[in-house]
Amino acid sequence: MIDNILGSIFNALFLASILRVVTPILLPSLGALISDRAGVINIGLEGIMLAAAFTGVVISAYTRTSGIGAWLGLIGGVIVGIALALVLAFFHLRFKGDLVLGGLAINILGSAGTVAIMSELTGDQASTTKLASLQMPIVDLPFLRAIPGIGEFLYTVFGSQNVMMWIALLSVALMWFFLYRTPLGRHIRAVGENPDAAASVGIDVVRMRYLALAISGVLAALGGIYMSMGYLGNFTRDMTAGRGFIALATPAIGNNTPLGTALAALFFAFAQALSIRLGTLSLNNKPLPSEYVQMIPYVATILALVVNTLRKRRAIAARARQYQEHQQPSGAPSR
Amino acid sequence: MLFKRPVPIALGSIFILILAFGLTALISHAPTVAALTTLPTFWGVLGVNLLVGGSLILFVIENGRGTLRIVLTVALALLIGFVITLLISHDPVKAYTALLTGPLTRINRWGFWIEDALSLTLVGLAIAIVFRARLFSLGAEGQIYLGALAAGLVALNIHGLPAGLTILLAIAAACLAGFLWGLLPGALRAYLDANELVSTLMLNEIAVRIYSLVLNAIRPPDAGFTVSATFPPESVFPRFINGTKISTAIGFVIVAVFLSWLLIQRTPFGFAIRMIGANPNFARYGGINTRRTIMLTMAVSGIVAGLVGAYLALSIQQKLIVGISSGLAFEGIVVALLARNNVLAVPAMALLYAYLRSGAQIMQLESDVNFEIVRVIQAIIILLVTAEFGLELVRLRRNRAARLNAESGATA
Repeated sequence: MIDNILGSIFNALFLASILRVVTPILLPSLGALISDRAGVINIGLEGIMLAAAFTGVVISAYTRTSGIGAWLGLIGGVIVGIALALVLAFFHLRFKGDLVLGGLAINILGSAGTVAIMSELTGDQASTTKLASLQMPIVDLPFLRAIPGIGEFLYTVFGSQNVMMWIALLSVALMWFFLYRTPLGRHIRAVGENPDAAASVGIDVVRMRYLALAISGVLAALGGIYMSMGYLGNFTRDMTAGRGFIALATPAIGNNTPLGTALAALFFAFAQALSIRLGTLSLNNKPLPSEYVQMIPYVATILALVVNTLRKRRAIAARARQYQEHQQPSGAPSR
Repeated sequence: MLFKRPVPIALGSIFILILAFGLTALISHAPTVAALTTLPTFWGVLGVNLLVGGSLILFVIENGRGTLRIVLTVALALLIGFVITLLISHDPVKAYTALLTGPLTRINRWGFWIEDALSLTLVGLAIAIVFRARLFSLGAEGQIYLGALAAGLVALNIHGLPAGLTILLAIAAACLAGFLWGLLPGALRAYLDANELVSTLMLNEIAVRIYSLVLNAIRPPDAGFTVSATFPPESVFPRFINGTKISTAIGFVIVAVFLSWLLIQRTPFGFAIRMIGANPNFARYGGINTRRTIMLTMAVSGIVAGLVGAYLALSIQQKLIVGISSGLAFEGIVVALLARNNVLAVPAMALLYAYLRSGAQIMQLESDVNFEIVRVIQAIIILLVTAEFGLELVRLRRNRAARLNAESGATA
């Protein structure tokens, strides 16, 4: 029976659903990563996601006849995302407001503002089902089927994913390239590591932080757009359901690198996809209360935070031991 | 002379206005003004209004000249909110009138304001305690749910105790639940460096699910909605003003404010909290066990948040319902910030913000503007308060005045 359950969970469809749920975690996670690397972690990701998700739906609904309505929605959402991120940046960098509280204010603004405007536009304060909004397109890859042996499997997993999923995967590579292979990325990392040292060699700390927050706004906005224009077909109030907060935990778990962050996001996506899948199962003919499985991603986040600390401590202890054994550092503990 | 004390005078007049309005709401129930004092609700309303005035006076005493800045900040946020209302409403003046005067138009609306202010006072205390130690814990939400659950289970299942004892037991259970649900992220933060913001937000989600699991298990089979049975009368706070849900729980809130003040200002533990908030490194060098203090601060804040749950379950709802808190913890942030994390200033700011919240509900009823606009105003208040816009303006003016003085001195 267990075999049966496992078999029904872990198959190509399940992998495809992981890729679907990883997108709205991965994109804001990268946003958290770049803002964190610049030393100004963006707590407002959740609110930015909501604002962008809502903007995208509204713009696509009003421009649906243009043929490129979905893309106009995307652009509008991203602009709103940048604007909110810059409000936070301005508030923190210019007026020395607390970054965490500012981020929380952005979250409240995103959650409340979207509902207020939605009820004004549609008379409905729960969702935008009355708006005929558009979806981001699905990327169909029929040639995957031609691959012998695993073709059908690959097609099920990758063949009909939303374009936003591919943008999310691409963003990981772009983020890596930006942070480690461009002067600007190096400057951002320097600012986060030691702002005084960065300033002393002529890097404009404030400008780098504005830039990092703006980029994090773009990424969170893309995640939000996917929520309302891909994952679901409309905007519902507080639809991001804490993804913007889970995204704050992923960079730390992923060792503050783009690839590590992506792996951490995949881990959460796995937990979430599992909880969705388990939600439809029943044990002994009684439906499993959905609350149990709904808790999985949140418990996983807390466990991951703890495991991450333990791992870091072990690494520090190991380095210390190495030092004592050799009586000299085999390599300076550098980053 | 009169103009040298604008703040006390302004606050005093606001207080008198509120008192007067509170009474006008009653007048509609009485045939003549003379018959007013014979109304059974008269002394209750008067007493509560005196408490309202008392907390405002306490706020002015605690803040001194800072009061003006807070008043200006809120006024500025309301002004920005009005501009937004202008953009989205067909009748913005009507909407804003409802927002600003609504709570004083009827006794049940006035009652809603006071009820909400009581829960916001407790949440504000819980948030102020953790913010005092510069811990960004938002675990209050989950603690409220579990506190309500613990209090509700006691109220439903313990019978036959002497009067009042069931309530005390239910409150104790709520406090214990809040304590434990605060101890957990506290320990994670103190000993395992787990970010308290993320961990408490995750624990909130878990607490909501636990609440809903238990609620589904205990719900009576004939209940149409997911609610528990109504608590027996001996295990709820008695209400004493007809038409409102204001109950004797008001006394517990006052005690909670006083005890929180005692804890923060008059105990070694409170001193440790304030030291950590001011400078964690200095606190550690000064011999304070920072890890233990951080853990216990979050747990103690959980006790107060658990009380909120008990208040909501035993006084407001008198049963357990789905979504009993609905984001109160986040409302506590703005209360604690406006009070500058000073527990004695919390009740006045809770009253202020509860006034806007209840006004916004009436605005949603009577106009085309959604309740959520008040949360937009809330976000603006948070930004304005923490950014010290007001302070910056004052500083600019002072600098200019100083420069002018210097120049006139030079020319003289």
